[in-house]
Amino acid sequence: MIADRVRAIWCAELKVDEVADDDDFFALGGHSVVLARIQLTLLDELGVEVPMDQLFRNSTVGALSSYLEAKGLTP
Amino acid sequence: MRVRGTRVALPPAPVVHRRFEELVDDAPDHLAVVCGGQRATYQELNAMANRFAHFLMSRGTGPGARVGVCLDYSIDMLVAILGTLKSGAAYVPLDPSYPAQRLRAMVEQLTDLASIVVSPSTAGLVSAANAELVDLEALSELLATQSPANPDVSVTGQDLCYAVFTSGSTGIPKVAGVRHEGWFNLLNWLSLEYGLHQGSDNLVVSAFGFDLTQRALLAPLFCGATQHLIPSRHFDTALAYRTLAEHHIRTVHCGTSALYLLIDWETARGSGALDRVGHIFFGGEPMSADRVVPWADREGNTCRLLHQYGVAECTDVASSYDLADYLAGGGGTDVVPVGKPVHNTDIHIVDEQLLPVAPGEYGEICISGISIGVGYLNAGGSGSDRFVRVVRDGVPIRLYKTGDRGTVTAGGDLVVAGRLDSQVKVRGMRIDPVDVERHLDRLAGVRASAVVPRRHGSGEVELVAFIVPDGGEIVTNDVRSRLVAVLPQNMVPAEFITVPEIPLNPHGKKDHRALAERLHGSARRPVDDARAG
Repeated sequence: MIADRVRAIWCAELKVDEVADDDDFFALGGHSVVLARIQLTLLDELGVEVPMDQLFRNSTVGALSSYLEAKGLTP
Repeated sequence: MRVRGTRVALPPAPVVHRRFEELVDDAPDHLAVVCGGQRATYQELNAMANRFAHFLMSRGTGPGARVGVCLDYSIDMLVAILGTLKSGAAYVPLDPSYPAQRLRAMVEQLTDLASIVVSPSTAGLVSAANAELVDLEALSELLATQSPANPDVSVTGQDLCYAVFTSGSTGIPKVAGVRHEGWFNLLNWLSLEYGLHQGSDNLVVSAFGFDLTQRALLAPLFCGATQHLIPSRHFDTALAYRTLAEHHIRTVHCGTSALYLLIDWETARGSGALDRVGHIFFGGEPMSADRVVPWADREGNTCRLLHQYGVAECTDVASSYDLADYLAGGGGTDVVPVGKPVHNTDIHIVDEQLLPVAPGEYGEICISGISIGVGYLNAGGSGSDRFVRVVRDGVPIRLYKTGDRGTVTAGGDLVVAGRLDSQVKVRGMRIDPVDVERHLDRLAGVRASAVVPRRHGSGEVELVAFIVPDGGEIVTNDVRSRLVAVLPQNMVPAEFITVPEIPLNPHGKKDHRALAERLHGSARRPVDDARAG
């Protein structure tokens, strides 16, 4: 599942143990530099380049996973 | 210990926009700026800036006045900056990525702000501020009737050119102002020292409010090159990297953490764009050699990396070091020097009595010379005790005490070794943790707080807040979101820890050291251990 990969990346970068599908990135203490690292990890691990404005717009694991699936990314 | 920068004569009126106007005459049709799908030549940009300058002047704005610029990266941003300078006024960047409440607090510190330049997408952020808003788009018809000729305003090197905000221990942001001759000297030094020219296209990747961004914005327009802007409010590594490659960018000015991101991006993608940039000028926070050297040492990397040091109060850059010298020396130490002074600027290492220390010894880093700014425009003189007068070699000079600890190597290179006070750099922004505490203490439900830095192995620093709840439960995410609404991101702690009380030291003050030790345990180095060394 893409959502599992995304959740693992979020947990690592936000340094938290758990993230629910509808937890908002910014409410979890995220900021643009953490987001920039997530952008880098998505490229490194999933080979996908996600524009920053899409990361801002899709600020939950659920939303970002749907976005990536809609882009044709498969696990 | 004193290291002297090379003395270089400047023109009688060292005024930044005059150099731009000369370049307009030299090459009117050369591209000045590219942003998204838009572009403007030197002549076009100059005419737009002149029309705006004449408009400001018709409103009585001129030398001595200050104009806020609250815009996203756009051609209009350069029009607003150049137009303000041409009118004789100074500009104050107001970063639209900041929360509206923080922007309002910033504007409140500038009681004499003539106006704020806005766009439809930023006007709402500063609409509550006590200053007239000027929307360039809404004014297009009126601006079209203004003269496109260079205004005839007498501006001197002593006049203020811009002012940027820094964090203050009073909880009130301080505004550091700098003068045209200091800025002209910096841009002139960059051009001469690194041979920048018409082909030295630049890309801006840093946030608008930083001092380094003011340099990045004007540097290409000072040497006849093309400026590239990305019309995005937030730094986007993917977009920045693609722009570097597509537009064959030759110069980048950035914070150290942005350099790490760009290097990691290139490493992950495996294609060469960053390593073909001619010069990357970076600094603003301690550098971890491990994050840069493997990439810098790669075969085929032709990029020249300049590790720089400076403070906003003294016009941004005070010294610069070519990383090639570090690589040639085989690396070795993890501390990368910040090099030698810029033109007409001296660096001093002094003891607590402001007397020079012996060569090789540590002391406080002070700066003197042309780059020294006018001080703080607000804060009722708070922090102005950092500007002092001393006599050196029989000559009275003005010194700025940076609060940074450092030394000079046998080769004459400055080395920075932490802070003498509690301030920290978080992703390039100098922050006084007390500033954050003042905001925390104001929140309902918080009885007391203490904010301490935590350093990660990678060299990155983040803030951690200890909070004593005012009876009952406190939800840390709620505290965080209330802080996010009033402070820039870099000032919001990464972690909030609830404690029954803040430990006090024998003097009855908050014991930040004890809290820092609690955070780091025995294995990690507290961020401020430089004080002890």
